[in-house]
Amino acid sequence: MIIDAHGHVGTWGDFFVPQPSADWLVATATRIGIDAVGVSHLVAIGYDTRLGNRMALDLARRHRGRLGVWLVADPHDRDGHSVVAEQLDEPGVWGLKLHPDVHECSVLDSRYTPYLRLATERGVPVLCHGQTRSDHSDPGDLAEAVRRHPGLRLLAGHAGLWPDGFTRAAELAAAHDGLHLEICGSRLTARWLEHLVAVAGADKVLFGTDACFLDPRVGLGKVVHARLSPADRDLVLGGNAARLLGSRARHDGG
Amino acid sequence: MSGGEAVRVFDAHRLLGQLPNTPAGVTADGLLAELDHLDIDACAATSTAELFGDPADPAARQAAGTVAGPRTLAVPVIVPAVAGAGWPATVDDVLAASPALVRACPVRHRFDPLGPVAVRWWPRLAEHGIPVAIDAAECGLPVVAALAAVHPGLRILVLSPGYRELRRLGELLETFPGVHVETGTVVTAGGVEWLAGRYGAHRLVFGTGAPRWDDAGARFLLEHLDLPAADVAMIAAGSARALIGTRWPW
Repeated sequence: MIIDAHGHVGTWGDFFVPQPSADWLVATATRIGIDAVGVSHLVAIGYDTRLGNRMALDLARRHRGRLGVWLVADPHDRDGHSVVAEQLDEPGVWGLKLHPDVHECSVLDSRYTPYLRLATERGVPVLCHGQTRSDHSDPGDLAEAVRRHPGLRLLAGHAGLWPDGFTRAAELAAAHDGLHLEICGSRLTARWLEHLVAVAGADKVLFGTDACFLDPRVGLGKVVHARLSPADRDLVLGGNAARLLGSRARHDGG
Repeated sequence: MSGGEAVRVFDAHRLLGQLPNTPAGVTADGLLAELDHLDIDACAATSTAELFGDPADPAARQAAGTVAGPRTLAVPVIVPAVAGAGWPATVDDVLAASPALVRACPVRHRFDPLGPVAVRWWPRLAEHGIPVAIDAAECGLPVVAALAAVHPGLRILVLSPGYRELRRLGELLETFPGVHVETGTVVTAGGVEWLAGRYGAHRLVFGTGAPRWDDAGARFLLEHLDLPAADVAMIAAGSARALIGTRWPW
């Protein structure tokens, strides 16, 4: 099973995305063999979390079993965690998505605490944008979040994003049980993927594409062509995600 | 992509040698192994010594001399500058070497691409059919636009434009017929198909920038483009062949 742990749908203000729709994403995933994609809606990340999360849930209902939902956690929404708590068991929900850089709020800020506590208590993973040297999402801070919330399973999105931070992010993931690396990003090459697996261990690295920011064909190609053992490749492509998501990975709309 | 016939692939943007910021560089044998691994038939490559060092330095000259091979076209770096400060000494020296493609790095090597020296070089290169590769990640697309506007006869290959620049790329391709775009970093969802559909596959050149940029994902995308087989073949090698002309490796 191939699971894309980091996807989006929708348009984005910074640049033009030719194919922002869920229909294109699902059709393309089908064509290249990706079984399921976990998405957050870019409306939810960009400016209206509650609206965007509802839009993502609607899309997951339309594409049962193919789209999972990362509910975006808005640190500026005082009651947001209550809304998200009610949505966590809706069909297709995979977990929470944090974007501390867009929301200009450190992952260690107390405004994220209710969300991280909720994810820990409910046993759902958290996908968090991870950006080396960011004041909001440096992988060191993501490791600290895991330390503060025993039992939390946190995916460091982009594995730190910048090449000069990949090794450190991998070392942090190796040292913290709850910290995993998700590998999408335009700067993360197949060579870097091989390095991440060597340092962090194949059981800590998860395939993601950043569709529709990035083309899912590019993300899949990195893993397909990386020099990994078949067992390690299977873990990266879906085994780890299936383990972290549990029954949520097998949602079929019921 | 439709049709089942194997497409021959030319990577128009490779680096050969040591890199300052990644764990391992690429040797000549390593480059061939990487091409084989991804079913890439041939490539154009620049020595990292010319790119990250001083192209005029003897060590860079020695490294540059090892790039060319049966499957590798050498892409020398040029630095148009006042006497004694550039490489090679004159544009006539470039023409005498008759390279398939040259690479210019106006930001990295700090010369003015529209300055008095450079503006004498570009028309000569254009007259002799030698295209110029310029790295958009290094100097930005406005530099490319300015150069194309002043020298419309010069054929320019835009390297590493990234995934966020489709609006600017579209404008460049629409306005300047001599501009071509390397596809390896055009990785926003459906970006290559969008450019091909509007400006033609003949304006798009498969290239990766490996090992600084990813080659595996770019190669997989090429193989799975939702375009007619003729367009895929054009991007894979046909457009580069048209740029390079008689120096083509097969």
